[in-house]
Amino acid sequence: MLKFIPIKASAGIIGFESPAAEYTQLNLDLDQLLIDHPSATYIGIAEGESMMGDGIFSGDLLIVDRAQSINDQDVVVANLNGVFVCKKIDKVQRCLLSSGQNLAPYFLKEGDEFQIEGVVTRSIRLHRPFTKQL
Amino acid sequence: MYALCDVNSMYASCEKVFDPSIRNKPVVVLTNNDGCICAACGIAKRMGIGKKFVPYFQVKKELEAAGAVIRSSNYELYADLSQRMMDTCARFAPDINVYSIDECFLYYPKQSSATQEGWESLGMQIRKAVWREVRLPICVGIGPTPTLAKVANHAAKKIEGFKGVAVLDTKNIRKTVLSKMAVTDVWGIGNRLGKRLNALGVNTAWELAKRDPTQIRKEFSILVENTVRELNGEVRHSWDTVRAAKKEIYSTRSFGERITDFEELRSALASHAEIVATKLRKQKSLTSSMTLFATSSPHDTEGYFRKSYFHHFAVSTNDTRNILKVIEIAMSQLYKPKVRYYKCGVGLMGLQNEELFQYDLFTPSNDNTKLMACMDTINARYGRSTVHIAAKGFEQKFAMRRAFLSPQYTTKWSDIPKIIC
Repeated sequence: MLKFIPIKASAGIIGFESPAAEYTQLNLDLDQLLIDHPSATYIGIAEGESMMGDGIFSGDLLIVDRAQSINDQDVVVANLNGVFVCKKIDKVQRCLLSSGQNLAPYFLKEGDEFQIEGVVTRSIRLHRPFTKQL
Repeated sequence: MYALCDVNSMYASCEKVFDPSIRNKPVVVLTNNDGCICAACGIAKRMGIGKKFVPYFQVKKELEAAGAVIRSSNYELYADLSQRMMDTCARFAPDINVYSIDECFLYYPKQSSATQEGWESLGMQIRKAVWREVRLPICVGIGPTPTLAKVANHAAKKIEGFKGVAVLDTKNIRKTVLSKMAVTDVWGIGNRLGKRLNALGVNTAWELAKRDPTQIRKEFSILVENTVRELNGEVRHSWDTVRAAKKEIYSTRSFGERITDFEELRSALASHAEIVATKLRKQKSLTSSMTLFATSSPHDTEGYFRKSYFHHFAVSTNDTRNILKVIEIAMSQLYKPKVRYYKCGVGLMGLQNEELFQYDLFTPSNDNTKLMACMDTINARYGRSTVHIAAKGFEQKFAMRRAFLSPQYTTKWSDIPKIIC
């Protein structure tokens, strides 16, 4: 893979230095803004309509942070019987809540394989679909 | 103190991180080109399947019957998860040394003292954090020397009573653990050394630790002496221990698909030659001889074909161009039409130290060290094979075969995990 040359090209003659030079900033970086724990965070894609009440639609990108502590009513990703699901967690009643219309909560039963896989800290809507090849 | 953190069955464990449907199943991972088994998860090991280095086709039926999940090596995924694991471990110590893709040493300077319980609870914390944040199971071994940290890690994994964490702080616990370990389980003691030690009545690690280090040095080497001293708590390995230069360098690989074309075989050999030549220069050595081979698969139905070619250089060299020239001569021996080649490779032997090399008055070296240094610098900076000798060809047709590859969940946008809402 070709890497970029980490040096700036410069002309031979030095003119007046830009008075704004001292204020140069790094470009805005979405990773830095949206991701609190880079080594514990992964990105998934939502599939299904059951979390629309929380603003999560099918095709949205979900930023999932495994290092966050889990609070009651957090939107989480969990492993439920071998499938990653996105639900709201009710720690008091031990159930998973959907926020779509007329969907009953799922009460955890004995024998269910269940692990919380992280907290959904952000979700990203694609108001226009990607045109580039991913 | 040193802590060694090591992932349990790294490759198989990585496969389970983003595929919850296989977390409770036996998982077996295959090597390059799906040839042999290279890792099996704990569940598979307990079922007695997935022995390392066994060719896959030999146990295919057995694995199927056991309901094993087969995966090709997904290096992209393992490298990313390894990085995450190392970052997580690094939080828990002032200094870290990444030892391999699934192991790292953490270093605590003398002043950071703690009780046995304190070290144990630190080990538990690291283990919990890596599980929670990366979803990889690790074992942590803590000891006053790198060798004892390795011993502790072995104990944490294999000896009953330790739950993934072992601390060898006191002499008593050291004696208990070392007495239960075979001498060949000690870091740096291979099978050959093990046999010689056995002959002297040294069977357990504890028996080795009790030996007189100066005597051991006389009978074996300073390396074994260092091991004995480290087993007794005296630090001998430093962070920047450079390994001794290798005496042979090999690059071999089986093809993704069988090849029959002259040019393809030649360019495959040329890329191996480039790899070994780069390694040779990196360790500042010259080679005096070179071996090349090409074979069909011993498991193919047609007759087995294996040819090798040995070349002795008049003047030792580390110039890629000299090494590549040998391929041109060797091809007439190695290539036979209609043979379905399965594997080829290049090896350099009789390596000498570049600085100590005695040149020949009548046959001067034609190595162009400046050109080679320039090529190596460019390739180190812009990626392997940015500049290369044209003999290698431009298109690589022998990419790895990975029929059971899992998605690259964390490094490819089209492969990110699906989450059901």
